[in-house]
Amino acid sequence: MITEKFKSAILKELKLDEFEIKDETLANSIPGWDSLNHINVILAIEKEFSVKFKSIEVLKCKNVGDLQKLVDLKLNK
Amino acid sequence: MMGIDISKIYSQFIHDKQDSSRTFQWAYDNSFFFFIFIGLLLFLFLAQKDRRLRWALLTGFSFYFYYKAIGYLPYVLLISTIVNYGLGKVLIKDYKDVLKKAALIFGVVFNVGALGYYKYTNFLFSAFANFKGQEYTPLAIIIPMGISYFSFKALSYLFDIYYGSLEKEYSFSDFLLYMVFFPSVMQGPIDKSRDFLPQIDNDYHLDREGAAKGIFLIMSGLIKKVVIADYLRFFLVERVMESPDRFTGVEILIAIYGYAIYIYCNFSGFTDMGIGIAQLMGFKLTDNFNFPYKAKSVAEFWRRWHMSLSSWLQEYLFVPLQMSMRTLRLMGNVLAVFITFVICGVWHGASWNFIIWGALHAFFMAFALAIKKPKENFYKLIRIDRLVKTKAWGVLQVIFTFHLICFTWIVFSIPDLKIIPYGIQMTNNFTFYINIPDSVVMHQMYDQMTMFFKANVFWQFIAAYPMIMVLLVSAFVLHYIPASVYTKAEYYFSKLPIVVQAQVLTLVIWIVTQSRFADSPPPIYFNF
Repeated sequence: MITEKFKSAILKELKLDEFEIKDETLANSIPGWDSLNHINVILAIEKEFSVKFKSIEVLKCKNVGDLQKLVDLKLNK
Repeated sequence: MMGIDISKIYSQFIHDKQDSSRTFQWAYDNSFFFFIFIGLLLFLFLAQKDRRLRWALLTGFSFYFYYKAIGYLPYVLLISTIVNYGLGKVLIKDYKDVLKKAALIFGVVFNVGALGYYKYTNFLFSAFANFKGQEYTPLAIIIPMGISYFSFKALSYLFDIYYGSLEKEYSFSDFLLYMVFFPSVMQGPIDKSRDFLPQIDNDYHLDREGAAKGIFLIMSGLIKKVVIADYLRFFLVERVMESPDRFTGVEILIAIYGYAIYIYCNFSGFTDMGIGIAQLMGFKLTDNFNFPYKAKSVAEFWRRWHMSLSSWLQEYLFVPLQMSMRTLRLMGNVLAVFITFVICGVWHGASWNFIIWGALHAFFMAFALAIKKPKENFYKLIRIDRLVKTKAWGVLQVIFTFHLICFTWIVFSIPDLKIIPYGIQMTNNFTFYINIPDSVVMHQMYDQMTMFFKANVFWQFIAAYPMIMVLLVSAFVLHYIPASVYTKAEYYFSKLPIVVQAQVLTLVIWIVTQSRFADSPPPIYFNF
C-alpha cells in the first residue's frame, strides 16, 4: 500500500500538486519522473525515510509499489 | 523439349562462394528469399497448434538463413548460446547471492570479451602501434555475423533473470531460437529476452490486420531501403564524401542532408522489413524507429532512433551507473551519460569516428542537462517562458536538433578520421602536444563550405539531378507528416480486398526492382 508520506515525498520532489499513485503505477507514467530525474526521486525518498538502498534493490523494482515495499522492509528491519 | 537445369535451382539454395558481396544481398530485398519465406509461412500455418514443430521450423530456417549468408554455421553464436544458457541456469537457481553475482560478472566479461576480441583486437593493436610510431599488420579475424546484436541479446537474458524480470524459466531450445531468430539476427532490433521469449509459447495465428500490418511494413521498408537509401547513397552521398574538393558548398550541404535521410532510410528500412517478416510469423519485435528527426532535443532523438539499442543501454547500463553514482546528483547523471554514449559509439565499430560520434552525443546531452535549470530561469528573466512552450518554438527546436544530428553524422560517416598529435609552440624550446581528431575529408568539406558556397548552384543542382531532389524532398515530407497518416494508411490497407493488397504489393516490388541497380550496397548497420 502506498502511504501518504511516501506519496507526498514523491510529489514534492517532482513539484506536483496531486497525482494518483497506486502500487502498480509505473515510474515513467508520473509526470517528471524520467530517467534523468530518477535519481533525484530515489534520493528524496532515502532522505525522507532516512534509509539507504542498494542499487540492485532499486533496479529490481518493477513499479512504485515495489519501491514502497522496499522502504517498508528497510523500516521494519 | 525444354530442359530444366536442376543444378541451377540447387545453386540458388546454397551459399554463393564466388561473390562474397552476396553475403549482404542475401536479405529481405532478395526475391529468392521471399519465395522460400512464403514456403515457411505455409508450413507455419500447418503447424499452428504444434509448438515443437513450429520451433523446429523457425530455428531450422534461421540456421539456414545464417548459412546462406555466410557459408557456414554460426559456431560463435552457438557457443555463446550454450555458455549464456548455462550462466542463466546459475542465476535462476536458489544459489547464494555471491555466486549469482559472480555468474553475472562472468557473463558480462564473457560477452563483452567475445565482442571485444572479434571487433576491437585489430583496432587496439593498431592504435597502440600508432602511438609508438610503428607499422601494424592487421590479424585476420573474421567478425561473426550479428555478434553485436546477439551478444547484447544474451546479456539482456542474464540481466532479466538477475533482476527478476523473466516470469519463468525457458528451455535451452527456446533460448536458442531467441538468439538465432533470423528476422533480427543481422541488424536487430535487439529484443529483450522478457519481450521475446514468452511469444514462443503463443499459437501461430495470423489475422487480416496482422497480415496487412506485416505486408505494409515490408513494403515501406523496401521503398526506404532500395528506392530511397540505395539511390541517395550511390548518386549523391558516396560521390560527394569521397572527394569533397570536387564539389561546391551547396552540393556538400545537400549531401549532408542526403546522408541523414540515407542512413535513416537504410537502417530503418531494413529493420521495418525484419519487423514485418516477424509479424507475419506471429512475433512482435521491438519498435526501432519513431521518426527520429522530429526530436526536439538530442535526448529525445535517442528515444526515437535505434530505440531497441537505446532502451537496452538505458536499462542495463545507464540506470545502474546513475544509481551507483546517485549521491553525485547532476554530476552523476552527466558521468553516466558520458560513459553510456562513448560505449554506444564503441558498439558501432572499432574506429575513432564512432567513438567521437558517441562522445559528441554525450556532450550535447550533458550540456543540455547542465544548463536545464539556468536556462529555465533565464527564459523567465527575459520573459519568454511562455513563448518557449509554443508550437513555433518547437519547430525551431526540431530544426536546431536536426542540424546537430547532421553534424554528428558527418563525424560518423568519415572513415579517414584519425587522432594525431598537434603541437602548440609554448616557448622557443617547449612545444605542448595535444591529440586532436583530424580528417582530410573533413578539412575539404569545411574549405568548400566556407570558400565555395554559391547559392545559385542550388538551382543548377535541381536542374541537373531532379531525381535526387525528388527523393530527398519526398523523404522529408514523408518523415514530417503526422504519424497518424501512417496508422490510417495501414488501417485502410488492411480493409482492402486481398486481391487489391496483392496488387499493391506487386506494384511496390515492381517499383523496387525498377529502381534497383546492379550493385545494391550492403545495409550499413550490418557491419556493427
